[in-house]
Amino acid sequence: MNSPRIAFRNLTRQKKRSFLLGGAIAFGILIITLVNSFTAGVVDNVQENFSHFLAGHIFLSGFEKTPSGRLLNVIRDDRELIEAIRRVEQERLRYIARRSSLNGVLIFEGANARQQIVGVDWEEERYLRERLVLRAGTIEAALAEPRSLILNEKVARRLDVAIGETLLVQMQTVTGQQNVGEFVLAATSVDTGIFSTVSAYGHRAHVNTLINIAPQEYVTLGVFLEDMGRMEVDAQRLYEALQTRVPLFPRAAGPQAMRGLMRRMAEEQWEGARYQLSTISDFLQPLNQIASTLNTVGLVVVLLLFVIIMVGITNTFRMIIYERTREIGTMRALGLQRGSVRGLFLLEALLLALGGTVVGLAGAAVAGLALSLIDFGMDNQFFVILREGRLTFKVLPAQLAGNVAVVAVLTLLAALVPAGRASKMDPAQALGKTY
Amino acid sequence: MNERMSSTAARPLAPAAALILFALLGVAALGAAAPDFEAILGSIDEMSNFDDTDFSATYTVVSEKPGEETSVFKARLFRRDREEKFLMLFLEPETQKGQGYLQLEDNLWFYDPESRKFSHSSFKENLQDSETKSSDFRRSSLMRDYAVEGYAEETLGRYPVYVIDLKALHGEVPYPRLKLWVRQDNNLALKIESYSLSDRLMRTGYYPNYIQVEGRLIPSRMLFVDELRVGEKSQVTIRDASVASLPDSVFTKAYLERVNR
Repeated sequence: MNSPRIAFRNLTRQKKRSFLLGGAIAFGILIITLVNSFTAGVVDNVQENFSHFLAGHIFLSGFEKTPSGRLLNVIRDDRELIEAIRRVEQERLRYIARRSSLNGVLIFEGANARQQIVGVDWEEERYLRERLVLRAGTIEAALAEPRSLILNEKVARRLDVAIGETLLVQMQTVTGQQNVGEFVLAATSVDTGIFSTVSAYGHRAHVNTLINIAPQEYVTLGVFLEDMGRMEVDAQRLYEALQTRVPLFPRAAGPQAMRGLMRRMAEEQWEGARYQLSTISDFLQPLNQIASTLNTVGLVVVLLLFVIIMVGITNTFRMIIYERTREIGTMRALGLQRGSVRGLFLLEALLLALGGTVVGLAGAAVAGLALSLIDFGMDNQFFVILREGRLTFKVLPAQLAGNVAVVAVLTLLAALVPAGRASKMDPAQALGKTY
Repeated sequence: MNERMSSTAARPLAPAAALILFALLGVAALGAAAPDFEAILGSIDEMSNFDDTDFSATYTVVSEKPGEETSVFKARLFRRDREEKFLMLFLEPETQKGQGYLQLEDNLWFYDPESRKFSHSSFKENLQDSETKSSDFRRSSLMRDYAVEGYAEETLGRYPVYVIDLKALHGEVPYPRLKLWVRQDNNLALKIESYSLSDRLMRTGYYPNYIQVEGRLIPSRMLFVDELRVGEKSQVTIRDASVASLPDSVFTKAYLERVNR
């Protein structure tokens, strides 16, 4: 017996009913696929945006302790670090970025604003030069002036400072001494939400002078990989390679582990430099938790939806069996076994689920594509979750396969009881039924 | 021949010897007049340190910023310098009431009654958005942290003062350079200028009034002027100063939690 063909023909006999049931399944699949791919896209985009913002996927920081117990965050000699990175990463490395930073107060004619200023080596960070969207001024002007500052347009407006004017900055050195310096506003960058207001850019040499470290020293070494997907594997390999070269702190993922590590750093006393390796994922651990929560909420909503759909499938199959009692009796009289009757109905349910899944996935693809075509622009508060101003949807194959399997199993379960009842019908009684 | 030679050689030596003699006399005279900086700095440190007693007082800080309303905060301060303990409990404004700083040896904790949590803080941070720092209310250690770079004599108001230039001996003090105006008659600091590492004047502190508590002079009024942000200043008034013994329980985290119940 050609069961799939019969099952398919049965489904097409009642087009409206099959369309409604399949449509409900398709809707469920569409929702869960959109939710899953949206959160995966958001996680990716946030990580990507942060990695550009922080200039790296993997980060190395150096720590020293003064005799009085003060913790200094500085990398003075990076030869071993660079050697290990070059050996481990090789062709997977896009670039490395050595950055210093200060957190200070910008002061201009009575107005002031707290601001983090990142000291970059503009020659080393060509990617940053390409990614920065300027509102006024030029990168060339910033490169030419040793005390130049590229500031977010919103902060520049608040300070009422114009291109070419000199601002004061008040900050602390790495050892905590008060210092005051000057910056010349060379350019303003387009406001892109949280990133712009927390970061401004200056020459690393000038920032080093202000925080009182030597010109060749810096605060963070960023490793930007060609493929972010390999970040955790590469980070572990780099950690193992560094272990044989320099004293390392254990890795700490997530805010709680980071706090624990900071406490340990504050309490322990050591001589020389010790290093810490971290990744974007370590910083963004809470984001993964949010994504996971979103996915769970999405799954719960879809499961509730499927409970309703299951009730519909069960009732529909009971009705189908009721309508086809004589047909079942005929098949059984012609020698069809009980298992085959049950299998036929379950196959119908499975085909229904698969049809709905295909339509749902197609719908999700169309909806995702349509949403990703909307250009939200670079200057909005949601910039951090967007890629180049647009939403992205990332389908994770394992997650998708899981969803399809869950839908198939639930549909089969819903059809199992009516199919079982059909298989237990007595052929003589079934043939005698008149409706 | 030899005599003539010796006499011609001796002639140019005479004015040189006279110069050396004058120079030596000058140095000796200067040396005699130079103030005893060790004693002056020691005296200032001693005035602000309470090694043999406890200390408590109520501080009122009035801060002015251009374009903003005058803000006031009041705090009760408890100190036990011999054990490096310090507790500051905020009494006003209502929104900050119950917050506090607790120093236990090298750690400075900030307590927030809203979250009921302690967090690490720094002596170099400004207090409640004023021009004051918690280090302004703690023991001073000028002798240990600074070296005298130079001095001058002048008059501040009606008082003859030494203007002493101090340079930090290490990088772990907030200000790398200080300039002190100290009364010549009693070693009271009347004015302190604080400079950044780039040698820019950042803050000026004025100490116009002192009160005597159990034979010890402490400033009863201080004025801190922000030299970078024009028009920003804070005036500190000290009341109810006492050197009476304090219970050990005051210098504990539990105390800050208890007073907020």
